[in-house]
Amino acid sequence: MTAVLEATATPPAETTRGAFRSFLRHRMGMVGAGMLLIALIVAVFAPILAPYDPYASVRVTIEDIYRAPSAQHLLGTDDGGKDVFSSLIYGARVSLIVGFAAAAIALVIGGLVGIVAGYRGGWLGSLLMRITDFFLVIPDLALQIVLVAIIGPSLGTIIFVIGILGWTTTARLVRSQTLTVRERKYVMRARAIGAGDGHILRRHILPAVLPLMLANMVLVISLAILAESTLAFLGLGDPTVISWGQMLNYAFGRGAVSAGAWWALLPPGFAIVWVVLGTTLLGTALEDALNPRLKRHHLETPGADVARDRALAPLPATAPGDASPILSVRDLSIEFDAPGGPLRAVDGVSFDLRRGETLGLVGESGCGKTTTVLGILRLLPPGGRVVSGQVWFDGEDLLGLDGRALRTFRWTRLSLVFQGAMNAMNPVRTIGDQIAEAIRLHTPGTSKEEAAARVGELLERVGIGQQRAGDYPHTYSGGMRQRAMIALALACDPDVIVADEPTTALDVMIQAQILELLSGIARDLGMGIILVTHDLGVVAQTCDRVVVMYGGSVAEENDAASVFASPQHPYTQQLLQSFPDLAHPDRALRGIPGTPPRLDDMPRGCRFAPRCPHAFERCQVERPPDYPTPAGGRAACFLLDPAEERRT
Amino acid sequence: MTEQVLQVEDLVKEFPGRRSLGDWIRRRPARPVRALDGISFELRAGEVLALVGESGCGKTTTGNLLMGLLPPSGGRVLLNGEEVGRLSGRGLQRIRRSAQMVFQDPYESLNPRMRVRDIIAEPLRVHRVGSSAADTAARVERAMTSAGLTPTGAYLNRYPFELSGGQRQRVVIAAALALEPSLLIADEPVSMLDVSIRADILNLLSALAKQQGIAVVMITHDLSTVAAYADRIAVMYMGRIVEHGPTRDVLADPQHPYARALLSVVPIPDPTARRRPVILGGETPDPSRIPSGCRFHPRCPVAFDRCPLVDPPLFEVGPDHHAACLLVEDGPRDRSG
Repeated sequence: MTAVLEATATPPAETTRGAFRSFLRHRMGMVGAGMLLIALIVAVFAPILAPYDPYASVRVTIEDIYRAPSAQHLLGTDDGGKDVFSSLIYGARVSLIVGFAAAAIALVIGGLVGIVAGYRGGWLGSLLMRITDFFLVIPDLALQIVLVAIIGPSLGTIIFVIGILGWTTTARLVRSQTLTVRERKYVMRARAIGAGDGHILRRHILPAVLPLMLANMVLVISLAILAESTLAFLGLGDPTVISWGQMLNYAFGRGAVSAGAWWALLPPGFAIVWVVLGTTLLGTALEDALNPRLKRHHLETPGADVARDRALAPLPATAPGDASPILSVRDLSIEFDAPGGPLRAVDGVSFDLRRGETLGLVGESGCGKTTTVLGILRLLPPGGRVVSGQVWFDGEDLLGLDGRALRTFRWTRLSLVFQGAMNAMNPVRTIGDQIAEAIRLHTPGTSKEEAAARVGELLERVGIGQQRAGDYPHTYSGGMRQRAMIALALACDPDVIVADEPTTALDVMIQAQILELLSGIARDLGMGIILVTHDLGVVAQTCDRVVVMYGGSVAEENDAASVFASPQHPYTQQLLQSFPDLAHPDRALRGIPGTPPRLDDMPRGCRFAPRCPHAFERCQVERPPDYPTPAGGRAACFLLDPAEERRT
Repeated sequence: MTEQVLQVEDLVKEFPGRRSLGDWIRRRPARPVRALDGISFELRAGEVLALVGESGCGKTTTGNLLMGLLPPSGGRVLLNGEEVGRLSGRGLQRIRRSAQMVFQDPYESLNPRMRVRDIIAEPLRVHRVGSSAADTAARVERAMTSAGLTPTGAYLNRYPFELSGGQRQRVVIAAALALEPSLLIADEPVSMLDVSIRADILNLLSALAKQQGIAVVMITHDLSTVAAYADRIAVMYMGRIVEHGPTRDVLADPQHPYARALLSVVPIPDPTARRRPVILGGETPDPSRIPSGCRFHPRCPVAFDRCPLVDPPLFEVGPDHHAACLLVEDGPRDRSG
């Protein structure tokens, strides 16, 4: 699945460019930016925009107080006979100055604390974080009131007080980001190069932390503006400057309510809401775009995993008896939703699996092998869809089953062994419990004792031993966990097991143990196994048949002996040449030049043509169908077309 | 005679163990984990040594000690005649220049915010190598050419996400080559790459050794990937080298039972091959409880009464070929055994 997403290659949000692009798509963020920009313009050009200078002293008569809005005074006058509209415009200056200055202080403190705590860690980090926690639980407003009351209300004091109380969220955010980046492999690599702390902080940590701090700063600004308004409203604002909170304070304190002078109350309130809303919208959008933790998955669009209009083909004719396939995949195609239109990850894949047979599905990452089996099991991730084809299982079309029928089917007849056994187990329940649950879920009426007996039997079968049934997954080693996964897959005695890279990330010795176990199961229990792997050696040693996939379709299929002895498709040939063989250590290995095709850029003709040494004109324009090979298999290559015989 | 680049003498590394509740109650100190228990080897310029073993055998710890990323608990590492663990400050910086590392995961080990040009120039900046911008550019160009990133212009301004796995690993290698090191430590350099690309990266590393005389230590769990590329193989088990010799001899005639077992289970891409895999039961034991005598005896298929008592040293079993097993005390076993 990762390969599928990778192939679509949208730049990750980790690059600034990608983040900027995703920000532009954020409509609310653009609205917020616009609102803030208007406030900024008003503040900067206040002397030009305001019809009166609110700081000029004027002679006031009793008629000038609380005058209703008129052409002369657009928003009326306040308790001092001053023009409300002009005060409102000048108020923007104070609010924004306090907002930006306090946020800058908070950012410097928070950034420093966060980076030091995250990068240094240890006792210093713990101490800094405890201090942060302490500041976080203090009721800000109460402390601000006390501090301003003690120091005395001036613009400088207010900025300072808001700043030193507003850094905690920044510190926590920066620390967590620093911690993540510090553990990254590229920081380790920089250290191995010989880089000191200064270099790592400057070149690796800061560029990763700064954008996040920027987004956070916008949010801190909005909080600071709100805090300033609150303080001023409570009468703790700087009496020598006009701010929106101050205007509200005067209006409330000096009879605007009883005079019915709504024009003295509503506009400053509206202005505060305007700026705070604008900065919050902008800040949230920036955080969405820049904070990787908050990023939502763009593929998370729920929908049917099988397209309703999928093309149907009749059930393949099969002869009854042991040789008839238990599983027939016919012309299976799977697409994923992507911003630029659906991408076809699997294109017309067909193969059969007979009872008791082990089938190897091989190919490089991104070739569609995992997607194919997920499609067969109907476990495609959201956004993925079978668009055509059938999966016949013992005469029944799996793709036609509805939810409930599918669930019973899935574990009793067809089960799965995942790649990461660690993540497939519930860590807070014992292994025995989890296997028993699967048994009782699918065979209602099984008593606890029967289930426990079966669990013991299964654990013995996979070589764990029944005495470990009561242990939790974390006490199991990697190999043991994979064995437990296999026991779980065997729980309901299925006909077919799909094993997706069951031994990747395991040591060779453990791999040998697991493969021996799987072969034994196939032999003794007569189960069909589909083994998905990139390891040709594993295939050679465990599989009866091999399906080689490339670029979402089948390149070649045959029995294992023939595929390895005389590969027919150039891709299979090259893959074998690049694979190390311990039996012939002197054979020089050759990689396949070029890279596998991307899903959004599939070659028009044969998918392997751009990397194929034998490609000719026809390969560039036409998709090769399957041709029979001399050894009784099939391969999708024009070299096998009898009409092209002269070429071979 | 080619010059000796690396000498490792009786290297030991212990990590402080976790104190269990039982230890705490009995006021016992924590049991240290002996990740490396006295390993020695030498490496000449242009030589490729493969350190092979299962996870937990100490091969990655060895790599970190060679790079001076961890201080040794005992023994010493000499790089071009200078002792790595003893140096600090400038001396350590100088050593770091001559030993460079290629990491396992090319997807993770490149900073996604940096361009290829800056990634490869980073080591030069760190060590203040490069007298001018033009000199730095020339060195970057040279490293990229050596790493097969040509034409260089096509890669210089790309970001890592625009490159394939193989190209990324070449960028990692180019960054390591920028300082013209005499030792390259490659920790599982291909295990995260697709099969079709592995051969190219391995060919590249072996060409760097042969053509530029760089000594290469390849750390891997996969014997088959190094078989065609290493000059010598050292098989490690629980912090010790249990067998060490020329690749051809070790592969054709392994003397230590662990090396034999390990070789016998490596999958071979030939379904008709007739093999007798020796599948060892269980898993590598806990390194904080190293078994007495020969540390392999609890899993050894041919252990006898002396094995739990005697800790075998490396015995000579052939030219430059040694194995730590009591069965070869008096010379090599025959191949049928």
